[in-house]
Amino acid sequence: MTAIVEIENVVKEYPLGKLKVRALHDVSLEIQRGEFAAIAAPSGAGKTTLLNLIGCVDTPTSGVVRIDGQSTSELNDGGLTNLRLHKLGFIFQSFNLIAVLDLYQNVEFPLLLQGGLSKKERDARVRDVIEKVGLTPQIRQRPNELSGGQRQRVAIARALVTRPAIVLADEPTANLDSTTGTNIIELMRQINHTEHTTFIFSTHDPKVMDRADRVVKMADGRIVDDGRNSSAGAA
Amino acid sequence: MGANSFGLLLRLALRSLRGHRVKVLIVGSLLAFGTFLLVFGTTLLGNVERAMEASVTGSLTGQIQIVSDKAKDQLAFYGPQAAADQDLGTIASFPEVKEALLGIPNVKAVVPMGRHVAQPILGNEMDQLLGEVRDAVNAGDADMASRLSAKVRRSLGVLLAEYRNRLILSSASEEVEDGIRDLETATSDEFWADFASAPEQVLAFLDTRIAKLMDDSRDAYVPFVGTDLQAFADSFDSFELAEGEMVPPGQRGFLFNNHFFEDFSKNKVARILDKVHEARTLDGKRIALDPGLQAEIAKARKYTRYVTDQLDPVQASTLDAELSRIVPDEEGGLDEKVSAFLAVDDENFDARYRFFYDEVAPMIRMYRVKVGDTLTLRSFTRAGYPKAVNVKVWGTFRFKGLERSALASAYSLVDLMSFRELFGLMTVEKREELDSIRAEVGIDELSRDEIESALFGGDDDVVEEHAAAAIDIGARVDGIEAVSAEANDSFHPEDIEKGTVLNAAVVLRDPSKLGQTLRDIEELTAARGLQVKAMPWLAVTGIVGQLVLVLRAVLWVIILIIFIVALVIINNSMVMATMDRVSEIGTMRAIGAKRRFVLSLFLVETLVLGAFASGAGAGVSTALTLLLGKTGIPASNDFLIFLFGGPALHPTVGVSNILFGLAAILVVSVISTLYPARIAARIAPVVAMQRKE
Repeated sequence: MTAIVEIENVVKEYPLGKLKVRALHDVSLEIQRGEFAAIAAPSGAGKTTLLNLIGCVDTPTSGVVRIDGQSTSELNDGGLTNLRLHKLGFIFQSFNLIAVLDLYQNVEFPLLLQGGLSKKERDARVRDVIEKVGLTPQIRQRPNELSGGQRQRVAIARALVTRPAIVLADEPTANLDSTTGTNIIELMRQINHTEHTTFIFSTHDPKVMDRADRVVKMADGRIVDDGRNSSAGAA
Repeated sequence: MGANSFGLLLRLALRSLRGHRVKVLIVGSLLAFGTFLLVFGTTLLGNVERAMEASVTGSLTGQIQIVSDKAKDQLAFYGPQAAADQDLGTIASFPEVKEALLGIPNVKAVVPMGRHVAQPILGNEMDQLLGEVRDAVNAGDADMASRLSAKVRRSLGVLLAEYRNRLILSSASEEVEDGIRDLETATSDEFWADFASAPEQVLAFLDTRIAKLMDDSRDAYVPFVGTDLQAFADSFDSFELAEGEMVPPGQRGFLFNNHFFEDFSKNKVARILDKVHEARTLDGKRIALDPGLQAEIAKARKYTRYVTDQLDPVQASTLDAELSRIVPDEEGGLDEKVSAFLAVDDENFDARYRFFYDEVAPMIRMYRVKVGDTLTLRSFTRAGYPKAVNVKVWGTFRFKGLERSALASAYSLVDLMSFRELFGLMTVEKREELDSIRAEVGIDELSRDEIESALFGGDDDVVEEHAAAAIDIGARVDGIEAVSAEANDSFHPEDIEKGTVLNAAVVLRDPSKLGQTLRDIEELTAARGLQVKAMPWLAVTGIVGQLVLVLRAVLWVIILIIFIVALVIINNSMVMATMDRVSEIGTMRAIGAKRRFVLSLFLVETLVLGAFASGAGAGVSTALTLLLGKTGIPASNDFLIFLFGGPALHPTVGVSNILFGLAAILVVSVISTLYPARIAARIAPVVAMQRKE
């Protein structure tokens, strides 16, 4: 296994008026290709900050974040954007679908930004991933016509369609009821198994943590526990 | 950015527009209205300018006017500037200028000109009537003489009554009392008892004491352009002889503008009835609804004496009897009956109009001056001396399409020789000054006599002018003018170009090359030292041209205001829309959309909206223009007839106007979107990760 994410002695501070708030204190972490890892912490412990750094929507105050060997601090906005577009997939807590586009178009969106594929290849890829998340019957529906679970499936399809190295999911089940949440985690798990896509997700739900291969626990901006979960994936 | 990406942008833009209906409606209708106004306004203005150009250039000015480069005042053919004295100097050598300009391929003709104004000396109705009596007496036609003298006596009776009224109304003045005394004498039987035996004595009294009592306010001024009449008629397309004949080459002569002639010469009552008739038949106006026509009719009713004065007793009683049938309720005298007859309304107008022309017109003199008459024109020369010239009225003319425009019909035409006399010549000092200038610039190969003839168009005229000048200022007061010898009513055609020319019209073969030809003329005249300057037609139209400029300015100010409003509103609504879409844009950025994509997204959105809205605006404008082109915009007044170049404007669609309108709107939309688009592009991808509470 090779590390897809390398975090070395990362400090992240935010200005708050005249004060500086330190969200991460000297965090180091490696995540290997194909891992299904959860970052678990109560609110305000720094898990979203960590996820933002891995997701390349933010850069560290000091220390190094490397994605697939590329240090994010060395990139400008365009470079970070490219990295996000080609290496990363995002699943948001609030689904964040584009309201004016239908299901198919939402999934197609990152491929259009990437360019390079023919219309035919693109169509095949989009339909395939929608099939995988089980939404083929709803393919022309708009987000507001879908249930929460369905929306999150669309988001998963959108995150997967570019075949990213890493899929980041920020509390993917927080806005879903527990059955739907379990189903979503199961779907992610399944894709992790079949496609070997690395999944990193934040959560504070113990049931979700149970499904992860590895659980990184955080408190007060530090990693306090990093354990393998032997029972994960058994169900 | 690839085609896929553009397709995505377009799709996103269309979806987003569909999702923001209120914004689309407000911004869209603003843009559509802006485009409509821009396209329709510039189209209409362009059409008016072209029509007016045709009016002006085809009738009087040509596309270019040439004046001396020493002209102190701006040449203006219309408006207040035209009425004021203009010091234009004179073109130093018209033949040279003409020859030079005709060498430019686009110049079709160069027509010499000069504007001036004169007062025709006509005498009043009584003068004319007494003239007729005298003619009859001289011819020994006793029957006619007595018939006419009866007419005179009727007329005097009316005048006496008027004077007695005047005495009641105003504080008694000696003048009025004297008038009454004279009129009482002139209407007495004793006075007329001598008429058969000693008519001269009677006529002399009437001439000297009575005729002046009848005032006539119609001593109008006649503005005219002195020109090479033949060249004028040949060069201006819209010139058309209305009546009479063209002044033969080498002959002096006057051509009245027909519209002016009708106003000036025709019987006042008949003229008003004509106008009402025209307004009813051509403009579809109704007396009951039109205060202007009502005022005209009220005026006609006060002018009854222009009809009754001219009747002899037999005619008067015939008319009286007929009018009693038509206006049975009116029990007053003939004047009251005529007045009642003239109280026309929409019901009876046509019948009364016919009656007037069938029954009344044959009994009265319809025109004070007729084609074929010799007219005495009086004017003050530039030097300030009175000058009078007798000139034959050969005919009347009109400018096609502008027949009913008083503005376009302001100028009559006279031959250049008569013009030069009326305009007067330079003082001796001025002439000497000119001689010395000529000597300096080295065109003094002409003999002294030739210079004089070149300047004044004939030696005898110089004598005339100096004679007039020598008489003294008193001549002005007494109104005794030196009248040019009628014997000299022909001239050598070459003289036309030799004498004074104030300005010249240049008629072009291709009017669209005006700018180029102006530059050609300026270069050529400068190179040859011709001491003239060239001006485009719009510059010499005076207030009319200025009005077009003002209209254009107003249109642009309105468009500018609308654009600024549109800019602000689009900007605001886009900023608001951006705020609503922070999360969406953040998501796009997180997923991998570059800043440029977001910027483009906003621009495309406005461009799409702008394209639809301005397309609609331009469409409506084009449809309206086509419709108006078919139906025509009626020219409801004299000025509009002039602006429209005829009774109606039929605008045509200008492709350049449409393209310009669309382009302008797109530019405005893009500018108004730049700021909100920049704000949107700055939204950080991290906002996508923020929790929505």
